Amino acid sequence: MPPRTSGWTEAGAPGYSHRSYRSPDGRFTFSTTTIGGSYSSRHEGQLDQLPAVMQSIGALFQGLSGTYDHHQTQRGPGMEMPPHSHAAGMREPDVMHDRFQAHHERARRHEEYFFRDPDGPQHMESPGPNLVDFLEALRGNPRIATREGAANPFAMLSALMNVDRNGDAVYSQEELDRVISQLIDHTQQGTAPPPATDTAIRSLPTKKMTREMMGSDGTAECSICMDPVELNTEVTVLPCTHWFHFDCIKAWLNQHNTCPHCRRSIDATGVTSPGEGTSENPVIIPDSPESSSSPRLRRRSSPITSRSIRSARSSMSRSSRTSPSPEMGESGTRRGSSGESSRGGITGWVWSRFGGGSS
Amino acid sequence: MGSQKRIAKELSELVESPPEGIIVELADEANLYKWKVFMEGPEGSPYQGGKFIVNLTLPTEYPFKPPTVSFGTKIYHPNVTNDEKGSMCLGMLRADEWKPSSKIAAVLQFARQLLQEPMPDDAIEGRIAEQYKNDRKRYDEIAKEWTRKWAVSE
Repeated sequence: MPPRTSGWTEAGAPGYSHRSYRSPDGRFTFSTTTIGGSYSSRHEGQLDQLPAVMQSIGALFQGLSGTYDHHQTQRGPGMEMPPHSHAAGMREPDVMHDRFQAHHERARRHEEYFFRDPDGPQHMESPGPNLVDFLEALRGNPRIATREGAANPFAMLSALMNVDRNGDAVYSQEELDRVISQLIDHTQQGTAPPPATDTAIRSLPTKKMTREMMGSDGTAECSICMDPVELNTEVTVLPCTHWFHFDCIKAWLNQHNTCPHCRRSIDATGVTSPGEGTSENPVIIPDSPESSSSPRLRRRSSPITSRSIRSARSSMSRSSRTSPSPEMGESGTRRGSSGESSRGGITGWVWSRFGGGSS
Repeated sequence: MGSQKRIAKELSELVESPPEGIIVELADEANLYKWKVFMEGPEGSPYQGGKFIVNLTLPTEYPFKPPTVSFGTKIYHPNVTNDEKGSMCLGMLRADEWKPSSKIAAVLQFARQLLQEPMPDDAIEGRIAEQYKNDRKRYDEIAKEWTRKWAVSE
């Protein structure tokens, strides 16, 4: 008896029916099991219409499975179907096109609990491994870069079903990165600090502008609205001593509980800065990290608090990534290395989402 | 909107005293949120001699959310997507790294600095980044060629 048959096989029992389809080359199979109802006895007449639909789907999936190159699965011993079931499946084994045959029979008792056609390939490479690859890729595993083939079925599926690649289906590292970036942008989450509470915002001290708070040229501006702030104007002062208009800082703190200038948390009351920021106010924007001449000198040191460690990590990651990492695949330059200090950006976001992060 | 006031202020500052190699204007006079920036390729970089159009878009939540920067001129660079969007990947422009005290001028200067000194380890075009790191000569050649082809108008 040839090991491979194609087409439909169906097994049924009262209250149970099992149908499976297998492509002619044996590389693809799927099956359904319905429990409950008297499907198998009632449904026989309609099965003739079903194949027309299934044939096109079958062709599609066959095309997909064509990209897999390792599906010569062996059947293990003891996995034989009952003989009469084989007969149904192999009626015309040589026909190139799929033939769909309905076959009803009473399955042997133990088969009622099969959810898979035991005659088919036992464990085909399902999308499971691809998912694993994606996750591996997110963790910085370069293996994915060499496995172009693994992504192809998604590309085909996406093309066949006319799914735009900006939708849910992505099939390349870059697209995936882009989608994740979008998600981050949209949700404003990721490694971004959480909003401050209303109470915390309202309990911030205010202060009238003094001469010392003005810049060396005697002027000052709120670094959020960039409006000039006159002497004796009341401003809100954060624990890091940076000050802002109340309305301005409130709008920011409603989104993130950190200083918009130095990123110190407004909750970090215990350990406050002895040095940095005391003589500094937001008017000195040209000194801010962004405008420094080198893109890599991004942040000055700041006192260690648990929150500043966390926020510093994301900035450290950027500079630590300037040293080439052997792990980086061709398409993996945004991933960073897998070291603890390198989980910024996308990687950091994923880590923090999936349990690896510190938050 | 408070953001409009700040944007207008930043715009007028940039128009009055533009940073080196950077000229800004509104893409549409009626819309403060879309800027058109002409950026000269920095001297000593393979982009020298080129004039790149950079589109800067400000969110309505600006300055609480970062602007987006994209190249309207094709450019061969590890940190700019090699597609019709020409998106630039800048760390400081990521939502979780953005600080409202950053000014647009700083963003643009940073972008230009990035032309001078790409950041291959933070790249969006992995292939170009690899080439930048391992075969600088070839990278320079292609970047120059693209500059000549797309960023020089004669």
